[in-house]
Amino acid sequence: MRKLMRRGGSWVGVLAAAALALPLVVTSSFAIDICIRVLLFAFIGVAWNLMGGYAKQLSLGHAAYFGLGAYTSSILLIDYDVSPWIGMIAGGVVAMLASLPIGALCFRLRGPYFAIATIATAQVLMLLFLKFRDFAWGAEGTTMPNLGSAPLMMQFEGKAPYYYIALGLLALALAITWRIERSYLGNYLIAIGEDEDAAEAIGVNAPKVKRDIYMVSAFLTALAGTFYVQYIYFIDPNVAFSFNVSVEAALVSIVGGIGTLWGPVLGAVLLEAGSALLQSFLGSGRAGVQLTVYSLILMAVILWRPTGLMGLITDAWRRLAPRAPGKKVSGHG
Amino acid sequence: MAEALVIRGLSKRFGGLRAVQDLSFSVREGETLALIGPNGAGKTTSFHLITGFHRADSGSVTAFGRELVGLAPHQICAHGLARTFQVARPFGAMTVLANVMTGAFLRDKRPDVARAKAREAIDFVGLGAKAESQARDLTTIDQRRLEMARALATQPRLLLLDEVMAGLNPAEIDQAVALVGKLSARGLTIVIVEHVMRAIMAVARHIVVLDHGQKIAEGSPQEVVANPEVIRAYLGTGYAHAPAPVAGAAPC
Repeated sequence: MRKLMRRGGSWVGVLAAAALALPLVVTSSFAIDICIRVLLFAFIGVAWNLMGGYAKQLSLGHAAYFGLGAYTSSILLIDYDVSPWIGMIAGGVVAMLASLPIGALCFRLRGPYFAIATIATAQVLMLLFLKFRDFAWGAEGTTMPNLGSAPLMMQFEGKAPYYYIALGLLALALAITWRIERSYLGNYLIAIGEDEDAAEAIGVNAPKVKRDIYMVSAFLTALAGTFYVQYIYFIDPNVAFSFNVSVEAALVSIVGGIGTLWGPVLGAVLLEAGSALLQSFLGSGRAGVQLTVYSLILMAVILWRPTGLMGLITDAWRRLAPRAPGKKVSGHG
Repeated sequence: MAEALVIRGLSKRFGGLRAVQDLSFSVREGETLALIGPNGAGKTTSFHLITGFHRADSGSVTAFGRELVGLAPHQICAHGLARTFQVARPFGAMTVLANVMTGAFLRDKRPDVARAKAREAIDFVGLGAKAESQARDLTTIDQRRLEMARALATQPRLLLLDEVMAGLNPAEIDQAVALVGKLSARGLTIVIVEHVMRAIMAVARHIVVLDHGQKIAEGSPQEVVANPEVIRAYLGTGYAHAPAPVAGAAPC
């Protein structure tokens, strides 16, 4: 077990070193943009996975928190000259607070009904920002003031700094997940995901655990929102509350393997890099070809590997390492 | 001895169906009480009412001096009442050890402590060799053992077992009876819902018989099996001259 952990640790080291060195090797702006997107969606996926993966509370409304993070920091920046670094944290807090009433409403429902209710919350927020024009620029949105190279205002000349911010966010989310996985909360979340009543019967305060993990998940997702609008220098309700963000957050986790530490990262690499590459190779040809291929990949994974790519890898690992069949990593398959 | 559980005038209706009507009984500390009766008599509903999964329409449930009606299931568990389910509900994606640790975390959030407590409970129910197995791969009796271990890990004072012997073969029933005896010998108060009369006669000190949501008889196993009302409603005439319980199997 310890050996396995140490080996796992060295893998993480190699991966981290490669990730840190990447911008030195990859200089093409197009390629680094793809890498940033991969990291960003891996980050959102890891945040989503805490609740959607471990506790199986399938949210399709995480765009609500992405958008709240984006708008909070943008309003603070444009109207009050507050640095997006501070705006980012403020956005996280706003999202966390917003998750309380949203959770109180949605957690009354289970399964698909919960998912539908969460979609509605993100849509309602989008409509609010569309209609109340005086509050935040309405439908036309706004661009971020260009301050040139201003690290303290989260603005940079090249793309590499954005890459490192996204990498830092992902590392943060992974560290949080890793800690949770090893604490009682990890067990509680999986227990709730497996059978909420049985969890309650052995003393798990399921409503409280779900509320808490929803707050963490919302907070992290909001950080991604701030980062994204700072990166593209633009915000409008369709960007901030894009249904696409909600779907991608769930998809990278589902394809990669829900309820696993690295699943969303793996899923993001495959889906985001895959769709970007498909778009550049096939996009110029017939319209929609890349979406078709993308959908086929999705269907293949969901049909053949409902446990995601992490399931595929752990199965292969077990087959290759038959010496201790009983020694699985404790907890979750 | 003090009363562990006192139920007074407990009633629950689902629409027009009176699932439990004006039910009263009490369980003394350290006692094993069996709740029997035909299907639909209200046994499992009574369990749900006691453990907070249903809310009683009226009546009271007092355990160790505290009123339980209105509390959430996890609060009732924290008060020292643990239950198993009629159909075992293990957390399939977890190992046996992780399942039981989840119960142990109720009393101590440190993983090392919870792991040690969980191992103890797993060994107690005789599942030690399968601690690292995935829970979904277990056989029926092992799933029941797992549920008992998980409940035990919450360190209850009162254990409610809902048909832990259903679907077991005769040899397995003997093992389960022995296990319930072992739990009782540890000083646990037990309320058991069961259909297997042989097992009930072996483990129970006191029996409450339900029919159509009402208590129709109560007493020692010998009194209950001789009761004409019980024979009519539940046992059938074959049990009128039932033999005494298997010698040696009775605990306490």
